[in-house]
Amino acid sequence: MKRYLLLTIYVFFLLPSLTACWNQKELTDLAFVMAIGIDKGKNQKFDVSWQLVNPGNVSSGQTGGGQGLPIAVYKSSGDTITEAARRATKKISRRLYYAHTNLVVISEGVAKTDLLDIVDALDRDPEFRTTTEMVIARGTSAENLVSALTNLDKLPVSKITKEIKSTQNMLGENMSVNVDDFISGIISSGKEPILNGYLLMGKKEQAQKAENLQSTKSDAYLEANGLAIFKNGKLKGWIENNNARGAIWILNKVKSTDINVEWNGKKDAISMASIRTKTKVSVNFKNGKPVIHIRIEDEGWISEANTAIDLTNPKVIEKLDKLVEKEIKRQIVNAVKAAQKKKSDIFGFGERVHRADPKLWNKLKRNWNEQFARLEVNVEVDSYIRREGIRTIPFWSTMNK
Amino acid sequence: MSILSNILKKKQKKRQNDNFRQMQDPGKPDELPIHRDYKDNIARIKEEYGNSTDISYREFKFCGSRGIAVYIDGLASNTLISDFFMETVTEEVREMVTDSFQQMIDFTAGLGNVESITNWNEVHDAILVGNTVFFLDGFQKALSVETKGWEKRAISEPSTQLSIQGPKDSFTETLRTNTAQIRRRIKSPNLWIESMKLGTVTQTDIAIMYIKGIANEKIIGEVKERLNRINIDGVQASGFLEQLFEDQTWTPFPTTHHSERPDVITSHLLEGRIALVVDGTPFVVTVPALFIQFFQAPDDYYARFDISTSIRLLRILAFFIALIGPAAYIAGTTFHQEMIPTTMAIAIAAQRENVPFPAFFEALIMEVTFEILREAGLRLPRAVGQAVSIVGALVIGQAAVQAGFVSPVMVIVVSITAIANFSTPVFTMAIAARLIRFIMMGLATILGFYGIMLGIMFMTIHLCSLRSFGVPYMMPIAPFNIRNQQDVFIRFPIWAMKNRPMFISKGNVVRTGENQKPGPPKQDEDQSSQGDS
Repeated sequence: MKRYLLLTIYVFFLLPSLTACWNQKELTDLAFVMAIGIDKGKNQKFDVSWQLVNPGNVSSGQTGGGQGLPIAVYKSSGDTITEAARRATKKISRRLYYAHTNLVVISEGVAKTDLLDIVDALDRDPEFRTTTEMVIARGTSAENLVSALTNLDKLPVSKITKEIKSTQNMLGENMSVNVDDFISGIISSGKEPILNGYLLMGKKEQAQKAENLQSTKSDAYLEANGLAIFKNGKLKGWIENNNARGAIWILNKVKSTDINVEWNGKKDAISMASIRTKTKVSVNFKNGKPVIHIRIEDEGWISEANTAIDLTNPKVIEKLDKLVEKEIKRQIVNAVKAAQKKKSDIFGFGERVHRADPKLWNKLKRNWNEQFARLEVNVEVDSYIRREGIRTIPFWSTMNK
Repeated sequence: MSILSNILKKKQKKRQNDNFRQMQDPGKPDELPIHRDYKDNIARIKEEYGNSTDISYREFKFCGSRGIAVYIDGLASNTLISDFFMETVTEEVREMVTDSFQQMIDFTAGLGNVESITNWNEVHDAILVGNTVFFLDGFQKALSVETKGWEKRAISEPSTQLSIQGPKDSFTETLRTNTAQIRRRIKSPNLWIESMKLGTVTQTDIAIMYIKGIANEKIIGEVKERLNRINIDGVQASGFLEQLFEDQTWTPFPTTHHSERPDVITSHLLEGRIALVVDGTPFVVTVPALFIQFFQAPDDYYARFDISTSIRLLRILAFFIALIGPAAYIAGTTFHQEMIPTTMAIAIAAQRENVPFPAFFEALIMEVTFEILREAGLRLPRAVGQAVSIVGALVIGQAAVQAGFVSPVMVIVVSITAIANFSTPVFTMAIAARLIRFIMMGLATILGFYGIMLGIMFMTIHLCSLRSFGVPYMMPIAPFNIRNQQDVFIRFPIWAMKNRPMFISKGNVVRTGENQKPGPPKQDEDQSSQGDS
């Protein structure tokens, strides 16, 4: 018994060394912060909008029964994020809880100037997760974006985070970027970060109202749009559509997408959907200068053929393969050019050079972004059409006209 | 000081009382010889038993001398005795002039085991177990004839430890029936049965069973020594025995195993354990008992090994759910909200929104309510029990949730915990988990998951410190023994369970022969065996 007692005392003395997150908090005393929106402040540096979830209105259980709105947005300002958060307690009855925060929205204004001043707050807080998605509000304030209601997903945050992932998988013009990715992009000398842009379309003032959810066609809705290019932690510009896809393709994040090619003089006659694609980036040196080789291996199927074409003929397929390769190459090259124009190495070519020749990199890294703008980039694409769907000859071929 | 001395005095007084009681003990040897006059004997019996009405006397005349048969109505078989008088104590026998005592022995031999007894101690022993004692006038000795024949319950299906594929018989309240059931399964002269009586007043019969050559002699000695040390007025059931001779009282975990299934006891005996059959209890106790044994259900051995392994793992998982289910809920919702997936956290938060109690009290209320329901359901007459369970289910499941006192998640947690608790095959282990659950809930309230880990740590330390008759309780997990892993988490195929558990069966540990793996005969082996014959 004496030994037990000693052991008990010993274990309890060990307790204080494990006091990381000990304090008890009831679920009903917490305000789950789902999203944080950061705008430039009028009087102070930042205006921070806190999107809080109203649990009773989200869950469709017996006791819930959601009559009201699923979220509530509060706003507070401060010179630092912490100051704003502490000031928010004057307006919010519950303790702000960040462990379930899934989205950080930053306004273009903040992104162009003071973005670096908020990153540490997100990185340091033990509750806040660095796997939180980060987006930039394009053409609107972060507050508006955070306040918008969505109709398919009750929680606007899950709409955005799910949307980014699904469009990355199906189209490849946006990709999921979280706080961690962003920070690693900032600190690396051979790479610059990118962030997704988000637009609030339609009648912006309608976005925060319940009526917005009452119609099948929302008056205002959120849409992923473009990739923000950064340089030295500041927003430098945007790349969009095919260029954005090219950039993501180089980053090897494209899973599936669609490529349209011309056939028999008809534009966009054939549509090919990629099913597997892989990008390899390598570095060669020519006259002491790095040359980047991008090699893409792509497989896909014909998802549309809007012209008379004999898809049973291997020669035709081979020809199609070439056309697709050409089109992919064009998009990749354009993406590289767009980035070079902005002088921002979002592809991480610098890191490749660093790995290939660390000594040379030491010389190059000082003005790498200038070097990047003049970098020679070779693109090589291998594309194969593996299937034609459940029809070989399109109806165009048998049409008697 | 005065209080202390008072207490001491009281203790002394108590001790004196104890001594007094022992002097009065009816179990004390009473070596008084039997009277020559049979009427004196009757008078003595009547006096000693206080004219108890269940004692029957039958006077008769035998070979010229008068005599009397004494037996307890209900314990001795009435028909047997009546038939005896009808057939043997006839007119002509009454008039025969010979050594009537010897004649009596010869005649009564037809009834059952006959013994000549000389003192009162033996008289009492004989009468109380259901024998008939014949006193003959003019003899200073009597005859004890075995006429046991009381009403007993027939062998029925087991009611608490059920199995799907196993045998359907179970033990009864009669010691002999129980030992016979085991003997029928182990047809070996090495199955030894030793008997003793326990309980100074009740004189309960106890049979110690073991297989000579398999059971560890040291443990047999230890069991006997501990049984001999017991000095108590009565051992009403095997549960008394378990509590009187277990290794550690201060533990919720059972260190003795019991079963109402003869097949379970048989397999325990084959592993070298010692079984104790207590008269009047349909549960046979086996020792030593190990922790993992309480998760081995009889069906584990009757089903294929892969299936029984998965089911056993499931059972162990269920034990942990029963242990920390509500505690994990409390810890998760009050300390570690970040660990719950977002949508689930919001769903729980929504349900808890209108609940007036903190998570701990909510859980405590529900758990206690459930325990009350379970206890009530157990005690109430069968017909009423049904009604109570319906009302309970409605009250807990529906009304409490609708009234907003409890969140639906809590109902789910309590239900899962309760169901998981029922999957432990042996009740004594299940009830240990029930008790520890409340401690875990308390720890979770104060310290969250850290508290739960602390609780599990303490529990593990405690479990490792336990011993059952000298065998470490957590054997073969801690101390780890690679040879004994065949029946722990993974139940090996029967042919691969080569060894008996260590320490329990010392020396004789090999169970199977060589090459027991079944399969179609190999071609060349077949030919060689044919050549041999």
